[in-house]
Amino acid sequence: MNGIEQTLIGGVEGGTAILLPALGELIGERAGVVNLGTEGCMLGGALAAFAAAAVTHSALLGVGAGFVVGAAFGGLHGWMTVRRHADQLASGLVVWFLALGLTSVFGTSYISRVVNPLPVLKIPGLGSIPWVGPILFDHDILVYAGYVLVAAIWLAFYRTRAGLVLRATGERPEVVAAAGGHPQLVQLAAVAVGSGLAGVGGAQLSVGYVGNWFNDMTSGYGFVAVAVVLFAAWRPIRVLGGAYLFGIALAAASVLQAHGVAVNQYLLDALPYLITLIALVAFARRGSSEAPEGLARALAQSG
Amino acid sequence: MTHDAMGATTESPSSIILPEQVAAPTVPPVHSDPAPTPTPAPAPAIAVIAKDPIHWGRIGLVTAAYLGSLIAFGVVVATKGADPFSVYHTMVKSTILNGGSLQQTVLRAIPIALAALAVTIPARAGLVNVGGEGQLIMGAVAATGIGVALGGHVAGPISWVAMAVAGALAGAVWAGISGILRTALNANEAVTTLLLNFIANDVMLYLIYQPWKDPHGSGQPQSRPLAHAAVLPRLFGSQLNIGLVAAAVVAVGTWYALQRTGWGFALRVVGGNREAARRAGLRVNRLLLSSMLAGGALAGLGGALNLAGVETQLRPDVTVTFGYVAFLASYLGRHDPLKVVAAALLFSAIALSGNGLQLTNGLDGAIVDVLLGLIVLAPLVMAKKRGRAT
Repeated sequence: MNGIEQTLIGGVEGGTAILLPALGELIGERAGVVNLGTEGCMLGGALAAFAAAAVTHSALLGVGAGFVVGAAFGGLHGWMTVRRHADQLASGLVVWFLALGLTSVFGTSYISRVVNPLPVLKIPGLGSIPWVGPILFDHDILVYAGYVLVAAIWLAFYRTRAGLVLRATGERPEVVAAAGGHPQLVQLAAVAVGSGLAGVGGAQLSVGYVGNWFNDMTSGYGFVAVAVVLFAAWRPIRVLGGAYLFGIALAAASVLQAHGVAVNQYLLDALPYLITLIALVAFARRGSSEAPEGLARALAQSG
Repeated sequence: MTHDAMGATTESPSSIILPEQVAAPTVPPVHSDPAPTPTPAPAPAIAVIAKDPIHWGRIGLVTAAYLGSLIAFGVVVATKGADPFSVYHTMVKSTILNGGSLQQTVLRAIPIALAALAVTIPARAGLVNVGGEGQLIMGAVAATGIGVALGGHVAGPISWVAMAVAGALAGAVWAGISGILRTALNANEAVTTLLLNFIANDVMLYLIYQPWKDPHGSGQPQSRPLAHAAVLPRLFGSQLNIGLVAAAVVAVGTWYALQRTGWGFALRVVGGNREAARRAGLRVNRLLLSSMLAGGALAGLGGALNLAGVETQLRPDVTVTFGYVAFLASYLGRHDPLKVVAAALLFSAIALSGNGLQLTNGLDGAIVDVLLGLIVLAPLVMAKKRGRAT
């Protein structure tokens, strides 16, 4: 196995921990709500998943717990922003702070504990294809969930009535209301489900890719997920590309170190954030005009 | 619900001409108070309430929200087996009731207050600077670089000024990156400032783990310490140092610049309605960039003063999320410079109380993050459809 292959394998695995939260954030932003608390939802989900897996000895139950806790934090954000019209960015950071504090307080007893991680499921047939197999079809179940979700979200967005209502809510909630819909309910549901996915992304870290729990283990991935949605111009397929790009950058940093490349570890650690920043800038001009109108309005009122 | 949704979208991002005001038969001038009406009008900003006849019901609600936050925190500590009353007692006692701790609270408030003002200035122009953490770090990094390089070769005051200037410049550059990306390429500044925080942190870690590593240090890696002469001198034998004086001067200067100068007014116009500002002949992009540069300079100065006065050497946790705490402080103070500084003092006390809680009540110090979040949550939730700070 050469370095490039290793990097791509790690990129898909680590990229999934960005992909799931980014897809969640995509759902929320399409409904007109940006959630910087994605970072907090991931953190909460990561601890919940790890704790549940430690207690029940089932990593899958852990994933479920991650979804529930992520959705709970997201529900708080949704209530504050949708029902109470709180500033979206400030509310998101408040959620992150709550999660940061709560997880370090309730997570101490889980530090350095061991759980059974999510099993690796090699897909029969596809997994044996040279090169492509190990990179795409030899992972834990959440990686496959990522593939399925991208397709499902694309279909839901562009081929179903529910997706149309969701997107309309993000553009012009008053139109949805006039047509007899309930834009606030749509937004609340979108933020809660999206944050649940962020929680599952956290689970991919704690019971999947990394396989343990430590304080602040998401180290900004939730913020990266928000950036990915932005430079993907709110398109599911591009979100997939952006998330894997970050994952590959992450994996490249560790592969380079393992191969003894004489670059400082911390400079390599900065690489994924730098690449995200560059991608964001490169696509910024084109992307911003495609922002859901309601989202643009909410952000214009921020500050 | 339908009505709420409609209300949310008819709200104009402009604070100059509110639709309600246009619709009213007697249009009040911009700076006068909106006439109190019996209709369930959107709750105005606290800044506006202060000028209104006092709304006792609303004050009661806001107070209840804060009390709710305190009770919620009490529940959290109780689940960890601590007595809430004892916890609050510790917090008050370990931060303000004792002279030494009170001085520590004030000292720690310096970087928080300056980084909070770094949020306030761009917020006036409608920009969101979440990069206080990175700007604090770069300020501290620059101050360390200059301070250690100058060593004991020059007189103290020269080092102090050089470190402060270097810190402010570094902070301005770091925030300026996001400012330029915003004005030239339309990249969202909230996200770029956030990403730059992580990059700044990695740059700092690189420096203290490699080129700047103190060869005599043991255990946790850190930079070489500042020469004795380069450390900011204390005030009258207290724990406070002249950085406090500098920070106070800068804070008052910021208040003056925002409230009493044409620049401050222009920022507010830009923040109110960018298109109107452009048509009125304001150089919008230049104003936006200037707000980011000024903000970044303040945060960078904060990082430099904290390093030169308190830390005296760079170490991995030199900022301990103060940049984010500062962001919340600016929101709690509703981007009003004096209130923001007051909020920074409060948050400094809360952040510092983590130590006391760890020692006295056996709680993880990070639990104070929960309280910080809850305290900002209260006004956010109560400020339904608030206007901009004036």
